[in-house]
Amino acid sequence: MSDAAREFEQELRVESPAREAWRMFISNNSAIVGLAIFTLIILTTFVGPLVYTVDPFELVWAPLTPPGEEGWLLGTDYLGRDLVAGLLIGGQSTLAVGAAAAVITITIGITVGALAGYYRGWVDEALMRVTEFFQVLPPLLLAMVLVMLFEPSLTTIAFAIGIVSWTSAARLTRAEFMRIRELEYVKAARSISASNARIIWRVILPNAAPPLIVSAALSVGTAILFEAGLSFLGLSDANVMSWGKLIGDNRPAILAAWWPVTFPGVAIFLTVLAVSLIGDGLNDALNPKLRRR
Amino acid sequence: MHIASVLIRRILNAAGLLAAVLILCFTLIHLAPGDPAEVIAGEMGGATEEMMAEIRALYGLDRPFHVQLLSYLGNVAQGDLGYSFYFNQPVTDLIVERLGATLLLVISALLLAIFLGTFLGVVAARNPNGLISHFVTVLALFGYAAPVFWTAIILLILFASVIPIFPASGGMYDITGPDDPISRALDIAHHMVLPVITLSTIYLAFYSRLARASMLDVLGSDYIRTARAKGLAEVVVVYKHALRNAVLPVVTFAGLQFAQLMSGAVLVEAVYSWPGLGTLAFESLLRRDTPTLLGILFFSSMVVIIANLLTDIAYRLIDPRIRSGAR
Amino acid sequence: MTSFIKFARATTAAALALGMAWQAQAAEPKKGGTLTLLTSQVPRHFNPAVQSGTATGRPGTQIFATLLRFDEGWEPQPYLAESWSWSDDNLSMTVKLRAGARFHDGHPITSKDVRFSIETVKANHPFKTMFGAVASVETPDDLTAVIKLSQTHPALELAMSSALLPIIPEHVYSKLEEGQTAKNHPMNATPVGSGPFKFVEYKQGEYIVLERNDDYFLPGLPYLDRIVYKIVRDSSQRVITMEQGEADFYTEVESINIRRLQKAENLVVSDHGGEAIGPITWLAFNTKRAPFDNPKVRQAIAYAVDRNFIIKALQRGVSKAATGPIAPSSPYYTPDVETYDLDLDKAKALLDEAGLKPDGDGIRFAASIDYLPALPEQQKNIAEYLKPQLKKIGIDVTVRNAPDFPTWAKRVSGHDFDMTMDLVFNWGDPVIGVHRTYICDNIVKGVIWSNTQQYCNPKVDETLTMAGKEPDLAKRKALYAEFQKTVAQDLPIYWLDIVPYTNVHSKKLVNPPLGIWADMHPLDKVGFAE
Repeated sequence: MSDAAREFEQELRVESPAREAWRMFISNNSAIVGLAIFTLIILTTFVGPLVYTVDPFELVWAPLTPPGEEGWLLGTDYLGRDLVAGLLIGGQSTLAVGAAAAVITITIGITVGALAGYYRGWVDEALMRVTEFFQVLPPLLLAMVLVMLFEPSLTTIAFAIGIVSWTSAARLTRAEFMRIRELEYVKAARSISASNARIIWRVILPNAAPPLIVSAALSVGTAILFEAGLSFLGLSDANVMSWGKLIGDNRPAILAAWWPVTFPGVAIFLTVLAVSLIGDGLNDALNPKLRRR
Repeated sequence: MHIASVLIRRILNAAGLLAAVLILCFTLIHLAPGDPAEVIAGEMGGATEEMMAEIRALYGLDRPFHVQLLSYLGNVAQGDLGYSFYFNQPVTDLIVERLGATLLLVISALLLAIFLGTFLGVVAARNPNGLISHFVTVLALFGYAAPVFWTAIILLILFASVIPIFPASGGMYDITGPDDPISRALDIAHHMVLPVITLSTIYLAFYSRLARASMLDVLGSDYIRTARAKGLAEVVVVYKHALRNAVLPVVTFAGLQFAQLMSGAVLVEAVYSWPGLGTLAFESLLRRDTPTLLGILFFSSMVVIIANLLTDIAYRLIDPRIRSGAR
Repeated sequence: MTSFIKFARATTAAALALGMAWQAQAAEPKKGGTLTLLTSQVPRHFNPAVQSGTATGRPGTQIFATLLRFDEGWEPQPYLAESWSWSDDNLSMTVKLRAGARFHDGHPITSKDVRFSIETVKANHPFKTMFGAVASVETPDDLTAVIKLSQTHPALELAMSSALLPIIPEHVYSKLEEGQTAKNHPMNATPVGSGPFKFVEYKQGEYIVLERNDDYFLPGLPYLDRIVYKIVRDSSQRVITMEQGEADFYTEVESINIRRLQKAENLVVSDHGGEAIGPITWLAFNTKRAPFDNPKVRQAIAYAVDRNFIIKALQRGVSKAATGPIAPSSPYYTPDVETYDLDLDKAKALLDEAGLKPDGDGIRFAASIDYLPALPEQQKNIAEYLKPQLKKIGIDVTVRNAPDFPTWAKRVSGHDFDMTMDLVFNWGDPVIGVHRTYICDNIVKGVIWSNTQQYCNPKVDETLTMAGKEPDLAKRKALYAEFQKTVAQDLPIYWLDIVPYTNVHSKKLVNPPLGIWADMHPLDKVGFAE
């Protein structure tokens, strides 16, 4: 690649928009609240178990001990396991599934969308057929079939969620690529004979990134809700605690004990809320149209 | 492009899609551990080897995989979705009844979400810092962040047990009640309230936000300023000129999200015992009742395809600028 | 077969007391009314002749009448049979049918229908031991059937009640089209029987409606006009439905909800009924897979499991201990077996003896446990409890989640498991529900609820064969006692507990179905108070 081209790319990736976006983001109150909640949740679930060392699978007290009684802060579940321990350790796997599923979603989505939007023609046609295919199938049903097929474990659940939810990311990427590929600077890059791969990954993708970042952030929330839904239907890994599993397993006891279902529900709610506040904040910060106002 | 040729292309496309859906899902379900003979044997409290073989022979499960697949596809091409292993009934009969219940639930929830969501969004957009605007934001966040089955369970306990104003046993109507059409219709409406509200919470949030954003966008545009400058009444400006444009993204998403709405229906139907396709799909998956499950996927894919087509048409009707086939 | 009747009379005191309690509250219900029952199960069809299980059995016993019915004290009573008698050698039973009994379509019931029904059940029902001993059925006249046996068969009377031998109409089922068998006959979905209620409508997964049979062969019965089964899958929802008075009866109440239901003013909670079903919750071992092929390892695990904790804490004191393969409510039960009460030291010692020493982390070996994916209180919860509990003796247990029945059944029937939780029914007589789990002949790969533990002890086989045909009650009891002692020593299975069929019913209900078959029994005497 020529020096001219490199210089040209440098020029494209100016510092100021990112800094400006960050400034916008931190001046957004609700985004800051979201970020604070999210940081707190990450800290609690990943540092908490180091301090609070109760085994979430151990039967510590009488089943369904109410919160606060006998020194158990959030009470015990239907077997007599400590809910604090369950929520802490369970949070790790729920967040891990959410993050992993979001990575899979976005990776497939960007790859498919980028190739379709950049090459157009038959590539676009073929990839869009595949996308449509995944769009017409009810995602939950397909995910259920996949999880059942490969036995429920955190990995299969994350993959199943990723596989059924990438279509909107793909459509978004495709639309951005179709728009950007016609812009002057892409034409310029092409005119100095930059390779296709380079144009896709180094020229178009960074410029298409803002909406994709927002979509990735939101898909973490969606994935967490999805995991909870699958657990609710009985599709969870029996050897790994997760918030969804806590809700699903304790549901039969809901009339006798509200706490084992409510606390993980609130945890999911807060996490998804935080993620969506962050997503909204990013959206406002990265949306040039709003920035102009 | 002419509308007829768009339609023909769409139909060919749809047929291809449906075939792909059937082939892939048939294979996946076939790969899952266990088969209907084991389910039937299980429900019978055990069976002998000969009986298992007999059940498999009865439903053609003893044939090689590709023969089963081809014969299934051949039958579907002739309009025969097969016979349910589990229920001993033609799949089409099983589904048609349930499809109505699911469509009733899903469409009611969708309409509620669209109308109420747009209304709230528009009101919020007219006064971006007012009480309703904040309410819309909070509602949107809540609806999005709470797991739908969780909302369902809580609403059910709250409004069927703590304050018993809705039926506890769920379902679509009470068979022991009077069966004249008017009482039945009222009974169905009574049974529908909780499931419809639950299902619509997710989308109500979404649409109110979408409507608010696009309304803000439209209200700031030149032609609205022109309309105002012409001295048109504010109500006319907002509800005739601006709304028409603000509703476009809402309609687009409604079509695209139909498949997801069907997903949400699985969870909501499970909690409220709503006799829809979601419940049937879940049950037939658990029982490896392949013909039924495939039939449901076939119908729901078709519903999604039709919904997308209707969305396109609606889009064209609302927005006269789009006349060509360009998306 | 006088000895069998003696067996019935010599039943446990508890069952008799229950029977009397029932008699005491029996009153004349008013005519009419709709009985609403709740169920979580979705039946395939309604013909119990070709399908076992309670989903079909509950409505099936209302639609189809049987020859005999059992009262609350395990006593056989006349039903479609006006009387029955045994030959002196106990190899032939003569049944006299009630005159004038008709099917719902008006056809009279004859001895030919009896013969046809026995043949159909024998050929199609999974419980081969019920009528395997029947050599032929003779029909000297329209109202007389003579059942000839190839060997003595004390379980025959029980096998003629409840959902086990529905009298099905020959004129309907003998008409078979190409590819049709009794199993997939379309009339199974719209059945014609002779029971107290007629089939009206079934909406898959929603409800079943039955209506009064005005031409019922027992005069003045039934009291009810209509029976509706509402299918409600969620247990909490069933509880709320009962509390709100939207239904009148439901069985299989989860222990978690019992206390709440007891507080409801409109309801009565009872753990009477269903004694014949004998559902035993157990932990089964794959006796062909190391280290579970060593009886010491199985015994060690049994010593490490706290059965008392399971009963008191996990089942909230609702369940009763099961110490062996035969349910305590059965007349053949013996408590005189090794019960493996909690003893962790002994458990560790046994594992040491088996050569399984702990490694640096205190782990001796790793193993997996499966569970039947239904009734979480009795299955999943116990499997999850075993994970930390068995860790105490150095076994690292992984719980394998089966999302649905076929996945679990495939693993267990394919002998691809280490340990599994299971729930298996006694079905009244040991011949019907117990033998199948322990005899060598029944090790059949691919068939669930066969001898999936692959346990084989020729001595046990011999004892069971003799017990199955022994007409003398005392001798039969002795044989079954010997069998129970042997298997409790070999321990292919560690039996945990029996959760009774807890019923909850509306206070307005008169004569609720609380017999040995619970609601798998004609509800012709059930009704509402004035």
